[in-house]
Amino acid sequence: MFITQRHLSRRTVLRGMGAALALPLLDSMVPAGVALAQTAARPIRRLGFVYMPNGVARNFTGINYWTPVGEGANFELSQILTPLAPYRDRLTVISGLAQHQADAFDDGANGDHTRGTSSWLSGVHCKRTEGADVKNGTTVDQIAAAEIGKATALPSLELAIDLNFLAGQCENSYSCAYLNTLSWRSETAPMPTENNPRIVFERLFGDGGTSAERLTQARVNASIIDSVLDDLNRLSQSLGATDRVKVGEYVDSVREVERRIQRVEKGGGTSELPTLERPSGIPERFDEHVKLMYDLQWLAFRADLTRVTTFMLGRELNFRTYPEIGINEGHHGLSHHQDNPNQLAKYARLGTYQAELFAWFLEKLHSTPDGDGSLLDHSLFLYGAGLSNPNLHAHYDLPLAMVGGAAGRMKGGRHLVFPAETPMTNLLLTMLDKVGVQAEKLGDSTGKLPIEPLSGV
Amino acid sequence: MRILAPKGLVCAGLAAWIAAVPANHSTSAAAAQVPAPSPVAANRATFERYCLTCHTTRQKERGVVPVALDTLDLSRIAADAAVWEKVVLKLRAGVMPPAGAPRPDKATHDGFASWLEGELDRSWTANPDPGRTEPFHRLNRVEYRNAVRDLLDLDLDVSALLPGDDVSYGFDNIAGVLKLSPTLMERYLSAAQKVSRLAVGTTPRTPSIDYYRVTDDLSQDVQLPGLPLGTRGGTRISYAFPMDAVYEIRPRLTRDLNESLPLYTEPQVLEISIDGQRIGTFTLPGIGAREGRGAPPPELDDPPSDPPATPPPSPGQAPARPAISQIVQTVRASAKERQSRNRADERWNLRVPVKAGQREVVITFLNRVSALDESARLPFQRPYPAGVNIPETRLGAYLRSVEIVGPIDATGPGQSDSRRRIFTCSTKDDVCARKILSTLARRAYRRPVTTADLEPLLSFYREGSSTFAGATADKKASFDEGIERALRRLLVSPEFLFRVERDPASTPTGRAYRVGDIDLASRLSFFLWSSIPDDTLLDLAERGQLSTPSVLSREVRRMLADPRADAFVTNFAGQWLFLRNLDAAVPVQSIFPDFDDGLRQSFRRETELFFDSIVREDRSAFDLLRADYTFLNERLAKHYGVPNVKGSYFRRVTLENGAARNGLLGQGAILTVTSYPDRTSPVVRGKWILENLLGTPPPPPLPNVPPLKPTNKEGAVLSMRQRMEQHRANPVCASCHAMMDPLGLSLENFDAVGKWRTLGESSAAIDAKGRAPDGTVFEGPTGLRDMLLRSDRFVPTLTEKMLTYALGRGLEYSDMPAVRAIVRDAAKNDYRVSSLIVGIANSAPFRMRKTG
Repeated sequence: MFITQRHLSRRTVLRGMGAALALPLLDSMVPAGVALAQTAARPIRRLGFVYMPNGVARNFTGINYWTPVGEGANFELSQILTPLAPYRDRLTVISGLAQHQADAFDDGANGDHTRGTSSWLSGVHCKRTEGADVKNGTTVDQIAAAEIGKATALPSLELAIDLNFLAGQCENSYSCAYLNTLSWRSETAPMPTENNPRIVFERLFGDGGTSAERLTQARVNASIIDSVLDDLNRLSQSLGATDRVKVGEYVDSVREVERRIQRVEKGGGTSELPTLERPSGIPERFDEHVKLMYDLQWLAFRADLTRVTTFMLGRELNFRTYPEIGINEGHHGLSHHQDNPNQLAKYARLGTYQAELFAWFLEKLHSTPDGDGSLLDHSLFLYGAGLSNPNLHAHYDLPLAMVGGAAGRMKGGRHLVFPAETPMTNLLLTMLDKVGVQAEKLGDSTGKLPIEPLSGV
Repeated sequence: MRILAPKGLVCAGLAAWIAAVPANHSTSAAAAQVPAPSPVAANRATFERYCLTCHTTRQKERGVVPVALDTLDLSRIAADAAVWEKVVLKLRAGVMPPAGAPRPDKATHDGFASWLEGELDRSWTANPDPGRTEPFHRLNRVEYRNAVRDLLDLDLDVSALLPGDDVSYGFDNIAGVLKLSPTLMERYLSAAQKVSRLAVGTTPRTPSIDYYRVTDDLSQDVQLPGLPLGTRGGTRISYAFPMDAVYEIRPRLTRDLNESLPLYTEPQVLEISIDGQRIGTFTLPGIGAREGRGAPPPELDDPPSDPPATPPPSPGQAPARPAISQIVQTVRASAKERQSRNRADERWNLRVPVKAGQREVVITFLNRVSALDESARLPFQRPYPAGVNIPETRLGAYLRSVEIVGPIDATGPGQSDSRRRIFTCSTKDDVCARKILSTLARRAYRRPVTTADLEPLLSFYREGSSTFAGATADKKASFDEGIERALRRLLVSPEFLFRVERDPASTPTGRAYRVGDIDLASRLSFFLWSSIPDDTLLDLAERGQLSTPSVLSREVRRMLADPRADAFVTNFAGQWLFLRNLDAAVPVQSIFPDFDDGLRQSFRRETELFFDSIVREDRSAFDLLRADYTFLNERLAKHYGVPNVKGSYFRRVTLENGAARNGLLGQGAILTVTSYPDRTSPVVRGKWILENLLGTPPPPPLPNVPPLKPTNKEGAVLSMRQRMEQHRANPVCASCHAMMDPLGLSLENFDAVGKWRTLGESSAAIDAKGRAPDGTVFEGPTGLRDMLLRSDRFVPTLTEKMLTYALGRGLEYSDMPAVRAIVRDAAKNDYRVSSLIVGIANSAPFRMRKTG
């Protein structure tokens, strides 16, 4: 039956959705005064993570399209990183780090992709299961969200590009939950990702209306939540002791929503959002979809609706093709380059393409004034992957790059090479420090990395 | 064993009929059917001779085998049931002993497997372990949609409201991973607001805009299934108009790769109709029109004036014949004209009053293309838009997207199906509100309601109606507002969003108990309908009759005959057979230039209709593999090379008995989702068969697999079989590929989009010899089918998948005796699908539960 679905799939060769999907009225969307309310003394810091699935175009025998040549300030950008050249002074490429917890241990050969994703921001070896007992660790973005996200309407945003309902696309004996998100609120609570720009938009801005109307709706929701908590209480009393624990998890989620509504209520009425036109759905083309998702992150930062984001440019093992850049093989298949120089070169095109899109986002951040600088000056992004050489599913010498000024705490223009096997979690811990979140330990971390702040600040 | 009556549940008569045995049919059947035990000694000899040559502790320590079996005690099989179930699986799948190792004769082999099964079943029957479903089972996105549909008579595409769900064990309804995050709770809140507003039909703050996109690779040169004869292309949208109001429908056309509207010689007439009644047309003029006959071309900065459509009649009123106005342009297409022409559909906005309710909006082109042109100009089935140096292959204008905006200038809530469903009384007072809300709550919570359930709903009703009453004195509007508010509250109630199964009060951990009739009603309805129980089921459950075997079996059959059972096809079969992955299948254009969305959708439809027919006609499960019929339309018939099928609608077509196309393995959907975009993959196909038809997934590949060379040393292209031989050369790969590849290779006559071929990539004739895991050799798709039909694993695998889906949890070794009991019982009915489904509904894991 040819009943058109609102949720759209992405195969196409047609160009030209860009205009239709561009977000209108961007300037008027930003509540007056928010972006400029900060002062140099108390800058708002944002933290973001961008994840490339299926590693990067490199092997361990001489072909490497990711790692820059040279160390320190004297380094030459690699082919994949070349699109980031305009932001070189805000870019720190990190080499040598390993995510040990992504390795198999006793879990068998299966699951390298899964654990690459699940451990990337947690530094924890996830439990091999498809059942209710999924277990990972609280991820770095959520630790940050609990601190710097306290004041914003949404503590964090979890975004993705791929669909997550395909059958048989997860690794045996691992729940798809591990592959579908980077972000875990607690060791048992994965944060679902969203790939539909319209839904993200509505989460950020509601579905329109005047601020008074939005406030009314927030109040109704608050009283509904209150009443639902009563329900859960009642429910809990009708259950046995073991099951009561589970209700606790739901209560936590509902309470979190309650807190968010309270924040909206507190901030409500002061800013007047115009009646907005929403993005209509999922663009069919990869680049348009990615740009729209970056647009939404930019908007969320700019309007200070969130300060923490994670974004997956794809799911591990995905078989997306990129006909617009001449890649007709599935992404995962191509990543198993088998050391074939032609295939590596082709795969490098994809990496460059991804970096071009990221650079497009950086440009937006760079040209948006924020406090005493730009949004880019006040943000810190980690751009990278959970695999280095995808053909070997290697979890060491991971491709990682930090971009952004972290409000004076990061200087760029460097390629830092750390001793092999240094845990990646040390970098994550360092990043927390850079955005002003104190933490001593994350997963298997052994300490912070000596990445010094910008001198003179 | 001890059976506990579920205390605290509402069914008064429940305790009366609870028998002292679980799932009575399977117990007795099991006892009767299990072969008499052979002497332990004989089996021990078999075991030692054929298993313990390799599976020793020593070999395990050396890493040669993954499991040691020499520590097991054959006189106490039940003590190591988990390991023995694995042994049984390997034996039944014919995977062990491995090819090349000494094998016992078939009788000894099967006898040993049967003996093990008998021992395991006997011990299980004495003390059945039904397993434990999660206490909370969140409705997934599909179930939420269906629940809203069945509760409120409102069919919404909730993919725009809720995120998708994680998959475990191959299905997206696994309770353990359906968690509730704050993000999701927020989505439920906002979905509840929208759903309740649409259902009750109150004026929204702002008109909503719903956007529909037609996929680009769908050919719109032909009449599409479900669209009127004499039309081509376009789309059909089932839309819930929330109120009596004006709505604006905005169709837009596709461009080519240069963002231009292609030029057509004939005028392109787009017709919009609602529920079969034409409400307007838009015309894109042809460029063949003679100069002077039409209006002058519009200037660039002067877009076409108001929509050419006449104010249409409201559906439900007498149709007035609308004038089809035409904007005719001159022949010359200068750059300026072209630009202006590109804006032709800019203001194709049609405003039309529509009465509230679920209606079908059809936007399609009147077919003005002559048949001669069509055959002469159509190089491929797939449409190709013009780009730089690429000619346009599309014959006429294509519809790209449709927006429906509204309600505008609402005149009232109207009489939608939803309102009829909700407002079961008309007094607009508290008594009526109570009646409405208790009816809704009973269905939504799927159980009898208590005062405690109603209290919060009534409180929101009062809050909503009083808030509104302050603003106006309209009693009706204020009543509606109250009901809407209460409904909004109900839709986020934990007992709506979650199926809650409570342990009987004060019961020790790990005890098996009978699931009460009320919970059973939900288990059945979510299994077969992916939705809430209807009143019939709830009534039976409340009276404690549902679990009576005759009633249960009658109800299962009634449910399977109901249209709601479509959900079983789309959700169960859609995931078991990977049909859902079709959307992501993108065969490479240069190799498969005909593949388009029309074919993709036809593939899906064929397999859905086929699976549906097996279920509804209650055929043998084996017919899934061997049926001599399928469902085809012209597009698909052409693809398969089946003659004399004309038109876009699907019809049942009888195939030659025993032909390669017979059954699931000859269907394009499955052959495509198990291929790469550019070629077939015997590995993926073999793995799919092992996993989904034989239930023995191979272990995953090791990292750093050496490359498969597509050519030999001399540079000649290797055949797929020669390429696959490379797997066998490497002993690490060989252990698994020796099982997968030969299965997949037998399907090599079907290319990566399921078309029949006799020559492979290397241009050599295809050699479709295959080999079963037990070493049996066969030839081609028919040989593969015969092998599967003879296999001991096909029906058990289907049963395991179905039981996983029915329970919403992964299966444990302790579920295997129940699976075998279901299969044994179904054997008596030629493995008819209903006997498998009734068997599941009667099985211990479905009817019972262990306390936590």
